[in-house]
Amino acid sequence: MSGFDMSQYLGIFLDETDEQLQQLDEAVVLLEQEPDNRELLNKIFRIAHTLKGSSASMGFEKMATLTHRMESVLDALRRGELRVTAGTIDLLLACLDKLRELKAQLASGHEGDVDTSDLVGRLEDMLAGEGAGDDGSPPPAFEPLRLDDVEENVVRAAEIRGYRAYEIRVELEADCRMKGARAFLVFNNLKDLGEVVKSEPHTQELEAEKFGNTFRLVFLSKEDADTVANVIKSISEIKEVTVRPLTLDEGAGQVAERRETSLAAPHLANEAEPEAGARPSPERRVTQTVRVDVQRLESLMNLVGELVIDRTRLAEVGNNLKLRLGNEELVEMLEEISLHIGRITSDLQEEIMKARMFPIDQVFNRFPRMVRDLAQKAGKEISFIVEGRETELDRTVIEEIGDPLIHLLRNAIDHGIEEPEERVRLGKPRYGTVVLKAFHQENQIVIIVEDDGRGIDAEGLKRRAVEKGLLSPEGAARLSQREALDLIFLPGFSTSDRITDVSGRGVGMDIVRAHLEKINGTIDIQTTHGKGTRFTIKLPLTLAINRSLLVTLGERVYAFPLANVVEIIEVEPSQVKRVQHREVTVVRGQVLPLVYLAEALGLKGAGRAAEGKAAVVIVGLAEKRVGFIVDSLIGEQEIVIKSLGSYIGKIPGIAGATIMGDGRVALILDIHSLVEHLGTARERQLAG
Amino acid sequence: MEQLVVFQLAGETYGVDIAHVHEIIRLQPITEVPRTPDFVEGVINLRGRIIPVIDLHKRFGLPAAEAGNSTRIMVVEVRGITVGMIVDAVSEVVRLPEENIEPPPPIIQGVDVAYLRGVGKWGDKLIILLDLDKVLRESEHQQLKEQVAAGVAET
Repeated sequence: MSGFDMSQYLGIFLDETDEQLQQLDEAVVLLEQEPDNRELLNKIFRIAHTLKGSSASMGFEKMATLTHRMESVLDALRRGELRVTAGTIDLLLACLDKLRELKAQLASGHEGDVDTSDLVGRLEDMLAGEGAGDDGSPPPAFEPLRLDDVEENVVRAAEIRGYRAYEIRVELEADCRMKGARAFLVFNNLKDLGEVVKSEPHTQELEAEKFGNTFRLVFLSKEDADTVANVIKSISEIKEVTVRPLTLDEGAGQVAERRETSLAAPHLANEAEPEAGARPSPERRVTQTVRVDVQRLESLMNLVGELVIDRTRLAEVGNNLKLRLGNEELVEMLEEISLHIGRITSDLQEEIMKARMFPIDQVFNRFPRMVRDLAQKAGKEISFIVEGRETELDRTVIEEIGDPLIHLLRNAIDHGIEEPEERVRLGKPRYGTVVLKAFHQENQIVIIVEDDGRGIDAEGLKRRAVEKGLLSPEGAARLSQREALDLIFLPGFSTSDRITDVSGRGVGMDIVRAHLEKINGTIDIQTTHGKGTRFTIKLPLTLAINRSLLVTLGERVYAFPLANVVEIIEVEPSQVKRVQHREVTVVRGQVLPLVYLAEALGLKGAGRAAEGKAAVVIVGLAEKRVGFIVDSLIGEQEIVIKSLGSYIGKIPGIAGATIMGDGRVALILDIHSLVEHLGTARERQLAG
Repeated sequence: MEQLVVFQLAGETYGVDIAHVHEIIRLQPITEVPRTPDFVEGVINLRGRIIPVIDLHKRFGLPAAEAGNSTRIMVVEVRGITVGMIVDAVSEVVRLPEENIEPPPPIIQGVDVAYLRGVGKWGDKLIILLDLDKVLRESEHQQLKEQVAAGVAET
């Protein structure tokens, strides 16, 4: 192994380890609730086994040893020799934490000085406790088969494709006359189930009957061990067949030993493993995936963006040529090519957009463990329900949503859910319930964090705000309940009297809101004192692409996000009225305030082209409607949203920029802040 | 030895460290961004990236110049911020020994001394060395921030 440069695999190994630890975390937490779930135990065993294999092949001794011991304990658990107790769960979780620690060290390429001996010792103790009754287990029936490098690679490659490797030992009846033919039949029957990678003795010797009564095979198949064994058993004159999973490094030999399926010919039926479903079933889905650096996806997206631009330019050149040269054959050919490129580019863009979507489970999957730990620390009993894990959203959104959710969950556990005794006293179930769910609604993702705890006391919030000097007593008295609830979003506002390890450091909700606003999200609270609290987060499906209405102001192009556009109308000058210094018009009996977009943006030298009809884009924000007067409409278009960068920063009224077909830059309007800005500008104007 | 990209601005010769200069492009249509300081001309599309463009004349309070055939946008990057700067002309790249560089004199024609790293002697010419970090970050950048913050506070 030392001759190899492993560094190029390290990244992949770390990524995979991350994923596996995550899965283990989740599964072990679930196991705590369902200690008898065989399938779950098997799943945990499988993942631990994979982890052991990969760490051993990377040469990370400590990690391999620890996972090996874990595997042994898990194996004892799933065979019922050990029982799942709180102690087991704690120990397993502690191991996972230690593995994380190891993994963090490994990022630098070596194992560092993380001490695993304590945990290894505890795992061994746990096994020893069980081992007393386990002495009767049969010794290894035979030495494991040795594979050379080539064979090992074949096995590994097959495992990746979803095959499982078995070591098969076949014993013929002592008085079997045509040993060579029997061996041939075994090979022949196995052919339908998979592939024989190795045989010992070699096939030629088997054919020549140059062997005793037994031979051994390494066999790759997607079937389970029983099926394989039965296929061989169907041949006559076979005394015994043993099929056991093959583990590539001998460290696993002992564990694998215990999994062997031993079938003696005469009592095949009664000895058949009763727990057929418990062994690793061939459920491992064979979806083929490739890990791609996110950065690469980003630059791919940018490249497609440029392609889109060039496509449009190509079409323009085609049009110009046509005007100049008429319907020449070459021009028509160019047109056709340009059309085709256009279609391919659109498809490409769509595919890359899809590649950027992830199920929200990427964020959710770490929460069950977190909630468990937090609940334990806070002395609360909590049942945590997660729904809608498969909901997909853009990775830019995924990246930003984790922290706010952690804050909300922490708050729910620490401040929301009461102590178990208190809950009983209040006539509530002892277990508090925290629900986290995600789903699509129209063009948005909705995420809900809900608890059935004590709720938020609006009056309490007011009192607290006054105490902290954030609000005058009179001001507090004027606040409605809704407004009072909004107080928790003020910086430096903490609702709990206790400062705990979990939350209550006085940071939190303001950060939650800030995070969400960064990704154009909103958050809303509903609470009933004594009954619970529900936070509703709404997020855009994707931050990167947006359907927009493009309009012009002189030479400039602006994009209205279509989500905000209610209607487009034309207004005759005679239909514009002035009411209290405001321009308004009447649309179907409703008064609609009108604003010149150029003025709303504060553009220099914004003029009013008063003659003729004006194009008006009516936007809606909740129940509010405002009509923006623009010079002309271009039409609807999918646009890729780009930030203006940190140098310019956030400009009120502007959400970002996009690059149009002709390569020019158009600004995307932020309707929310544009309308808000409008109101204040107007008030100032009226006041002055 | 320092490598400098030398450019012209309102009749004076300036230089910036070549390490900061990404590329030099011809003047192209710039999209105006509202509610930005006067010297921010807007944004351009640089091969799929949105880059802000500032006019160095306005930035330094120099007399404005008509855009001509030699006008260029010099794209520079300082500490992760990429900005295009409009200059009158980009002349050459020069190597300047350290000993030819002197601290900026208290009074110099044109640019505020605070934005300068020094003055380089190159033959019979003087090259005014800009401190890009200060140019892109200080005061006006602050002002930009404040302006935005004020805009937010109003709402």
